[in-house]
Amino acid sequence: MAETTRRVATDVGGTFTDLVAFETRDDGTIDIVTAKSDTTPPDFETGVLNVLKKGGIAPESVSFMAHGTTVVINALTERKGVKVGLITTEGFRDVLEIARGNRPDFFNLHYVKPAPFVPRHLRAEIPGRMTYQGGERAPLDLSGLPAILEGFRAEGVEAVAVCLLHAYSNTDHEVATLEEIRRLWPEVPVVASHQITREWREYERTNTAVLSAYVQPVAARYLGKLDAGLKSQGLKKSPYIMQSNCGVDSLEATSAVPINMVESGPASGFWGAAELGKLIGEEDILALDIGGTTAKCSLIEDGEVRIMTDYWIERSGISAGYPIMVPVVDLVEIGNGGGSIAWVDDFGKLHVGPQSAGALPGPAAYGKGGTNATTTDANLWLGRINRDYFCGGEVVADMDATETALKAVGKDLGVSTDEAAQGIVRIANNNMVNALKLVSLNRGHDTRDFTLLAFGGGGAMHAVALGQELQVKKVVVPAAASVFSAFGMMMSDLRRDYFVTQLVDLREGAGAGIEAIFGEAEAKARKTFEDEGVDPAEVTFLRYGKFRYQNQEHTTEVLLEGAVTDAALDKIAGDFHEAYEREYTYRLDAPVEMVGIHLVARAEVGKLELKPAELGAPDAGPALKGQREVDYALEGKHQADIYDGDKLAPGMAFTGPAIIEDPGTTIVIHPGNKVEIDAYRNTHINLGEAK
Amino acid sequence: MTDQFTLSVVQAALDSAAEEMFEVLRKTAMSPIIYEVLDVGTGVTSADGALVSSGAGIPSFVGVLDKSVKAILAKEGDRVAEGDVFLTNDPNFGGVTHLNDVVVAEPVFFEGVCIAWVSSIAHWGDIGGSTPGSMATDVTSIVAEGLRLPIVRLFSKGERNEAVADIIQTNSRLPDFVKGDLWAQVSAGRRAARLIRSMCARYGAETLRAAIADAHETGLARALKGLADLPQGSFDVAQEQDDGSTWNATITITPETFTVDLSDAPDQTVGPYNTCHDGALVACQILFKALTDPERYANTGSFAPLKVITRPGSIFDPSPDAAHGYYFETRIRLIDMLWRGLAEKAGADLPAGSFASIFGLVIAGQHPDTGRRYTMVEPQMGGWGATPERPGNDAMFSTNHGDTFNCPVEVAEARYGFEVASKSLGDTAHSDGEQPGGRGVVTRYLMRGEGVMSVGFSHGVVPVWGLPGASDGGRNALSIHRDGNQLEQATFVSKVAIRSGDEIVVSTANGGSARCT
Repeated sequence: MAETTRRVATDVGGTFTDLVAFETRDDGTIDIVTAKSDTTPPDFETGVLNVLKKGGIAPESVSFMAHGTTVVINALTERKGVKVGLITTEGFRDVLEIARGNRPDFFNLHYVKPAPFVPRHLRAEIPGRMTYQGGERAPLDLSGLPAILEGFRAEGVEAVAVCLLHAYSNTDHEVATLEEIRRLWPEVPVVASHQITREWREYERTNTAVLSAYVQPVAARYLGKLDAGLKSQGLKKSPYIMQSNCGVDSLEATSAVPINMVESGPASGFWGAAELGKLIGEEDILALDIGGTTAKCSLIEDGEVRIMTDYWIERSGISAGYPIMVPVVDLVEIGNGGGSIAWVDDFGKLHVGPQSAGALPGPAAYGKGGTNATTTDANLWLGRINRDYFCGGEVVADMDATETALKAVGKDLGVSTDEAAQGIVRIANNNMVNALKLVSLNRGHDTRDFTLLAFGGGGAMHAVALGQELQVKKVVVPAAASVFSAFGMMMSDLRRDYFVTQLVDLREGAGAGIEAIFGEAEAKARKTFEDEGVDPAEVTFLRYGKFRYQNQEHTTEVLLEGAVTDAALDKIAGDFHEAYEREYTYRLDAPVEMVGIHLVARAEVGKLELKPAELGAPDAGPALKGQREVDYALEGKHQADIYDGDKLAPGMAFTGPAIIEDPGTTIVIHPGNKVEIDAYRNTHINLGEAK
Repeated sequence: MTDQFTLSVVQAALDSAAEEMFEVLRKTAMSPIIYEVLDVGTGVTSADGALVSSGAGIPSFVGVLDKSVKAILAKEGDRVAEGDVFLTNDPNFGGVTHLNDVVVAEPVFFEGVCIAWVSSIAHWGDIGGSTPGSMATDVTSIVAEGLRLPIVRLFSKGERNEAVADIIQTNSRLPDFVKGDLWAQVSAGRRAARLIRSMCARYGAETLRAAIADAHETGLARALKGLADLPQGSFDVAQEQDDGSTWNATITITPETFTVDLSDAPDQTVGPYNTCHDGALVACQILFKALTDPERYANTGSFAPLKVITRPGSIFDPSPDAAHGYYFETRIRLIDMLWRGLAEKAGADLPAGSFASIFGLVIAGQHPDTGRRYTMVEPQMGGWGATPERPGNDAMFSTNHGDTFNCPVEVAEARYGFEVASKSLGDTAHSDGEQPGGRGVVTRYLMRGEGVMSVGFSHGVVPVWGLPGASDGGRNALSIHRDGNQLEQATFVSKVAIRSGDEIVVSTANGGSARCT
């Protein structure tokens, strides 16, 4: 009997709970099963069990399960966390409320500062002080703690956060405070800042601890119920939980510090892009994920995603937002997706997004009463999306509504309906080009060295136009692009990113000290993995140092190979100078300083292995289903060949103008593009001569 | 004619060129006042110096660099060549502010023709002069305020002028910082110039010019739309000052123009409290933009309806030898006066007064752990005014700041030779029927070694104003606590010797209150 290994990814979104199952037969071939069902608040595990049932997956047959959820970000943005009490260093309880004092909307005299998540009467102070070098300036005095906790109880506090000054440098006071709180009030969830991050900046660290405490009971409850529900149906091993750093983590560890999954949604897709890139020999990738509401992009270099801790929620040009100092994949997100609304301002200028028509009423073409023209409407009108195969044939496109909506935009602009639709696509593309430039050209990367990998429901529609503008090497659209995030989850490692701030002048004698910082972090990581049953020998590390010229503030991350010794310092400094010059066009002969480390610890947890298929004949004729006129905006109208994506087989090749349609995605192939289907059924698009 | 979508695409690229320049500066600068306080601005202008786009974290540096470029053009004219990079910091030569703010401006050539300028202005920690940080209060002439760069070439046709670089480094107490900051600015300009040239290669210089002209029309249209919604008429405004004087001005608003007549302003001061005509103009621009079109979108058109009249010999239009070090307090007082007048006399939709001071504090000394020199130059956060609907904001930087970040205590203690003993919100006084002003901040700096301090602030004597019928806010203050004594400091002092163990206590004002609706 054939043995099938079932790997399942489930993803709980605001509206739908998605399932993607990868069933690997013993001959290495893989079937992909997808299913979708409603999200079921507040008992989210019900939706997960429903979608498993709908997909015909028995939990007991699942060998590996990964789970992504928006529970943390939703609890934050909807303010549905718990009441938090904060304990901090004497003299600094207002740090959380003073914040950074900035007013990004700087001409606006009516700006309103974001309110802190913990009001002043629930922010308590304790004496004791560390220095920035980690010495004890004043001893910790916990004599006031019982009264503080008593006050918190009386106020109905449900979780406690601790953040003490300079705890990144010396954790002793935080550890002692944590232990004493656990002793005095064992039931209360409590988190100290050093458990989440060892980086400096007290406001950011305090806010991170507070927000972690704020969501912890909510997330722990959610994960506990999910685990119990799945186990009761026979799932043998707890699901791994997708994190913001592109890794997965154990359910237990995630329950303790759930804030690490705050931005897990986009992370899996970008991780998938990195992994797929390795598979197809394209390790330098510009990854683009276009959904209904937003487009997100990230740059992958040498197969590595970039992870940062400069993450903020609700931050924009009109609000300072709130920092969360956790490892998050470096991405740029803009309000530009398939449902983004095109609008004309008071001064006759066309804009696309950031407002979205959402799922309801959705684009005008949904026929659900939407009167605004969206990017999707423009794509339909231009023949790029098949009006007779809209949403994989599940929706009859209301072209009258689309025409009315586009005509209105054209009228405001004084142009024809066709021109309005072209304009919408051009402006939407330009918004996305600018986002892609932010992660590439603006950081000193030459886009000509990169492959654009586009996924999500709308990625493939715009990818070629964006790729041409940025003159990328080529464009690749992965197989099953619309469920690519699930693929990413299946490829994830158990991964933790450790950031530790410690200032070290990069000069003779510094090597051993730096090695010791890494050594300590690695030992800690190994121990944590070991406690969870992972063989320490399976744990691998990546070491990054964060460097700057003395007196600067911002750092440049440099990958360090091998042990750090004095002998290695010259090479390290050289690598820093080079990385710095690439990004900023100059270098200085100033002293170099290490500000801290970034250690990546990871271990494989049975990820999916893809096997290449035999390449068949290049003739794509069997997949050709017809022709239609497509408006390529800048390149005019052309008769395009229409291919059925499900019938395109490895080895097939053809030339644009063409459109590839499958139920989840439409790939727009421009005139002159050369297309090849690879052994994993990914679509490679060579752009030909740049205009 | 270029189609409108192409114009939009090019305009977006010009905006991102200025923003990109700003990002580069923020990431590479050596001085905290650049990368945290964001006392820095970047700009793209047309070939003739009309503002096209600005990258800035603070409104004080939007609409500044066009004035610098125009001054360079006036001086150099046809001699401007490809590969030139100009420096200026002197208000008499397009510097606009004070000597600490150094402008780096570069013409962008395409096919042999100048098509645009990219420039940046940034506050350098020390440009020489008689006191660390260069902002002395006891000077009477600009000559005493530091090194003057009266439009000089750092690069001439691509050739680096080593002499200029050497003179700059030699004249600063922080030579490594100024060198780092200078290169950060040059690098930022290069980045933007490259973007603009690639834009020209893609769309042609003619399209670039058309996009600029179209953007200016949009800027003007936006300004006029906002102007039409303002109360029309002529309003006499006045504000009492800490030195006992009263400033007067007249604001005249019509559907086409917004005129600020500063002819009645006091005579120029002997001390460094003057600002040049362009400086007064920039102050009025901030308020004008806030009233007419508070979004960030800004170009020459956005400010076209604004006229500012100054009287030569006054604090807003002083003689060439006048000192300018604390121009920013004069400028923020001007905004405070105009804001109050519009709120009280014209009934404009504005909150009550704020702590209305940059409150720049300079502490310099030797770091006890590293032995390296440090100079902290930091503005303060304070309380903002209430509206009838809501209390004022607590602890924000002034109107002239924006996306300015305070320095984290954990970073400050590593960088500077003091500890921050505490940093907390001040007390609030609450009256019935009023929305209270926002709270100021009390910060206590405990010195770990000797140092020198300079400070200047407004509203140290005259309290922050409330809206009509509501309570005033507080006052700004600074004192030194030494051996059990509290030594209150005057509003403007420099070269104050600080001892190890001294505590410098900064207390910023609460904002003004408003009657509840």
